[in-house]
Amino acid sequence: MILSRIGLGLLTLLVVSIVIFVLTQILPGDTATSVLGQNATPETLAAFRHELGLDRPAALRYLAWLGGVLHGDFGVALTNKQDIVEVLGPRFRNTLFLAGYAALMALPLAVGFGILAAIREGRLTDRLANIVALLAISMPEFFVGYLLILNLSVNHEWFPSLATVGTDTPFGERVWAVTLPAVTLTFLVTAHMLRMTRNSVLSTMSTAYVEMAFLKGLSRARVVTRHALPNAASPVISVIALNLAYLVVGVVVVENVFTYPGVGQYMIDAVSKRDVPVIEACGIVFAGVFITLNTFADVMAIVLNPRLRHPR
Amino acid sequence: MTIFGHKAPLTAVVGLAIILLNLLVALAGPYLAPYGETQVVGGGWDPASAAAWFGTDQIGRDMFTRLVYGARMTIGIAFVTTILSFAIGITLGLVAAVAGRWVDALISRAVDVVLSIPLLIWALMILNVLGQSLFSLVFTIGCLDSTRVFRLARALGLNLVSLDFVEVARMRGEGLWWVISREILPNAAAPLMSEFGLRFCFNFLFIAALSFLGLGVPLPYADWGGMVKDNVGGISFGLPAALYPAAAIALLTVGINLVVDWFLSIDARPSGAQAEM
Amino acid sequence: MKTAEPPSPGPSGLIVDRRQLLAGAGALGLALGPMGGLARAEDAPKKGGTLRMGMEGGSASDSLDFRTYTDSIHISYGYQIFNGMVEIAQDGTATGELLESWSTKPGATEWVFDVRKGVTFHSGKTLDADDIIYSLNLHRGETKSPAKDLLSAIADIRKLGPNQVGITLSSGNADLPYNLSDYHVLVVPNGFSDWSKPDGTGAYALETFQPGVKVVTRNTGRYWKPNRAWFDSIEIRYIPDVAARTQALISGQVDAVNRLDPKTVGFVLKSPKVDVVQSKGSGNRFAFVAHCDDPSFASNDTRMALKYGIDRQKIVDTVYKGYASIGNDTLIAPSNPYFVPNTPPHSYDPDRAASLYKKAGSPPLQLQVSEGAFSGATDSAVLFQESLKKAGINLDLKRVSADGYWDNVWLKAPFCAVYWGGRPSVDLQLSQTFFSTANWNDSHWRDPGFDKLVVAARIELDPAKRKSMYAEAQHMIADTGGMICYAVGDYLDGYAKKVKGVVPHPRYDMADQRAAEKAWFA
Repeated sequence: MILSRIGLGLLTLLVVSIVIFVLTQILPGDTATSVLGQNATPETLAAFRHELGLDRPAALRYLAWLGGVLHGDFGVALTNKQDIVEVLGPRFRNTLFLAGYAALMALPLAVGFGILAAIREGRLTDRLANIVALLAISMPEFFVGYLLILNLSVNHEWFPSLATVGTDTPFGERVWAVTLPAVTLTFLVTAHMLRMTRNSVLSTMSTAYVEMAFLKGLSRARVVTRHALPNAASPVISVIALNLAYLVVGVVVVENVFTYPGVGQYMIDAVSKRDVPVIEACGIVFAGVFITLNTFADVMAIVLNPRLRHPR
Repeated sequence: MTIFGHKAPLTAVVGLAIILLNLLVALAGPYLAPYGETQVVGGGWDPASAAAWFGTDQIGRDMFTRLVYGARMTIGIAFVTTILSFAIGITLGLVAAVAGRWVDALISRAVDVVLSIPLLIWALMILNVLGQSLFSLVFTIGCLDSTRVFRLARALGLNLVSLDFVEVARMRGEGLWWVISREILPNAAAPLMSEFGLRFCFNFLFIAALSFLGLGVPLPYADWGGMVKDNVGGISFGLPAALYPAAAIALLTVGINLVVDWFLSIDARPSGAQAEM
Repeated sequence: MKTAEPPSPGPSGLIVDRRQLLAGAGALGLALGPMGGLARAEDAPKKGGTLRMGMEGGSASDSLDFRTYTDSIHISYGYQIFNGMVEIAQDGTATGELLESWSTKPGATEWVFDVRKGVTFHSGKTLDADDIIYSLNLHRGETKSPAKDLLSAIADIRKLGPNQVGITLSSGNADLPYNLSDYHVLVVPNGFSDWSKPDGTGAYALETFQPGVKVVTRNTGRYWKPNRAWFDSIEIRYIPDVAARTQALISGQVDAVNRLDPKTVGFVLKSPKVDVVQSKGSGNRFAFVAHCDDPSFASNDTRMALKYGIDRQKIVDTVYKGYASIGNDTLIAPSNPYFVPNTPPHSYDPDRAASLYKKAGSPPLQLQVSEGAFSGATDSAVLFQESLKKAGINLDLKRVSADGYWDNVWLKAPFCAVYWGGRPSVDLQLSQTFFSTANWNDSHWRDPGFDKLVVAARIELDPAKRKSMYAEAQHMIADTGGMICYAVGDYLDGYAKKVKGVVPHPRYDMADQRAAEKAWFA
């Protein structure tokens, strides 16, 4: 079971790397054209391509890259010859730090208020939680970012607007610097999870065993937490996993607004420079996180829902 | 108030009113707008005045006019995109849930591949390959977004598949499509509906994010997300231009979801068809 | 220059215009203050501090190899670590840097350059002629260097002595020193090849290189230029988002930023902690360019209709808030000495545009545009479309991706937005863009008479004759070419008030991207 999961995950990674490679080949332009840009001439392009080895067949380049990865070598960036692992490592830690920080705020908020809203369905708490969550989600992320900067960084100089952290930034300072982007992300993901928790719980309220629980005379809070919630857990966990993955994978715009050195901006830069080894490395890191979270969600769903344990 | 034979709470009425207002504005746009969609009426970021109720945008077009025209473009694109993504996502999701392990594994892994790379980067690559047009924009967002719908639909489907009534139907020898359309879809409708409301709104936010990369709705048309992006530079200096399109997005999001909530609450009552099963 | 006055200075911010600078140029020898007044005590240069620069114009893919430089951040760290061969002085003339002086003979094909003595690299090696020859050859032969084109006329380089280099050109060029002032033409020691450990003669040595995040350099303490290099260290932070960059400056998280947004610079000026330096540099030429051999633009009447149908003043006022000059389609900046003031830009005339367009048979027009071409391109295009509408001309706009714009759209689309940066000389500006056989002839405009004129002007050593030749060339381009250069944007840098010594430079922003060695903290 676990082994086949890991196998599937590795297979997915392989497919991801092939898809990325094929896409980068379909994309118009290559590293030579995008680095030289407006300064390119046919001669300088030819010389640059030769230097980069881009004049070799695509399939060979992919296999050479794959061979390197299988030996644990992600290679160097085409554009500046920097060791990819050395650059990606700190950026990936930054990305995880930001995602973790945001998740620490968002998860308790979302699940807590989601359950509370389900318990108090239709009443003031429910309505308020709902509308606040909707308002939070209905603004573009960069807009939320700028509003936070305006209020907490310009009007009151409580937090820095630049979240540029380095490997040598002490933990406390790091937390302080990353607060605004983390809050922006919290805005982004809380509503989705909150609503999913609430609605999934409510939709199981109509099933027979919940009816039965009500008939037994249990309180609404007890019915929700003991009977409805476990059965609603599977879609909730699925959505939570998706949002956690989003915190890692989907934060390009927030990184940009706060100038945060994460993996997203690195990948965007690599795409625009057609730096295939870097795009591949970022893609694999992202895919790895995603697959791990996903597998976790699937396993949890099976553990929490006894009926799924029976083979179909 | 009673709508469609159901008693509607105040929030639902408010939500409906917001949606109707937006639809009305979208449909009657050219008659409501005081100026042409692209007409330049003043300098950049002029303050509100009798001539321009909400002031002007970054290059001097009337903000109110752009909002009115923006309703049409924004709602139109988001609607078509969301329908597309739900059509693809639900179909694949439920098929994966019902059709057995191999199909499930195949589709799920394919979706994982898509989801594991940032959506913006997919969009960047696909739109660069397809070229930018309204069609390619809708197609790209619809397809990318469907992967998120897929995961939910599959999770719901899996949950329901293991319920007794579905197993009974399968034992009766009903076909795949019969099981999906008659047994699963109606029961998965509530959470999917809630998702629809959110995804609809996510889609215009996604378009806004795309405009961050210089991709987005064709020029010179107005869309709310793009308008927020174009005017957001003034926010830090207290220029309110970006607030209006942002407020329009927020209002419509809240309106739609208030109505969705109401549908859900009708659905979730232990009465009617579901409770009998 | 039609925009008569620069925007009025804010109550506290300082705006410096190039003409103001020229007026005060006589005082430059005495005081480094931009206003040309007496040097106050607080303005006297002093050592110390870390200059934190928040900049746009680079990415995580940046390299230290100067043959890959294309943007502001590269030029900035390039000039911190290395030195050029030739520096462009405050008055726009070529002056000696690592090549101390030079001479040529009539015909301008034989050149002799003297290599500066007593300059050492960070590694301790002393600069000599071999280093210069090696560095020049990095741009010759089979090379990726964008400067290849600039130096393609060099037929032979030879060592005349330990500190003297002779250069022979295949065809004469009086502007060779200007070509050598290009930011790609920097100097490394003979045989140098490990770009991860750059060895230059610059004021600062590389300490940290994290492209896309930050670049840190430290003062070597033994810089050869007098009165330069005041800071202990320099830190460039990559801040690509203009709003974030502006906020970082105002809130004091950085000391200097480049590329302020013209739309909000009026508010930046209100900040008591910030100075804004406005320079009319050689770059920022904003244009829409049409292929003269495309069916839609084959008739000069269509091209002229577009030139009369664009409301340049409106675009300058609205998109650039007045922080730009009106362009006159030739790419020569109004600040350039060879600029022809008596060719007024084709001013907005919808009626004339309408009749010219009808005369041309009303061909279909589509403009491809992207913010990737230059900032303000899409807004300008929308205003262009609106101003054409008043002439009854329908222009279809197509927004294309910024990604790969120079590769996929520019030179390929029949009508698209284009940015032209400054070339070190008028000759290069004209010959690289408008020469019949030029690689970058993006208007596909070909005129043998023009080619001959430019070649003749290239070896003309008499300034007056040269000027009239360039004037004729500019007329030819403006009256028949496919380039609609509607505006020349000002460079807008922002500095914390304590940063002194940042004077507008006629070439690039941030004191010709040499703020690191020129500025100091009060």
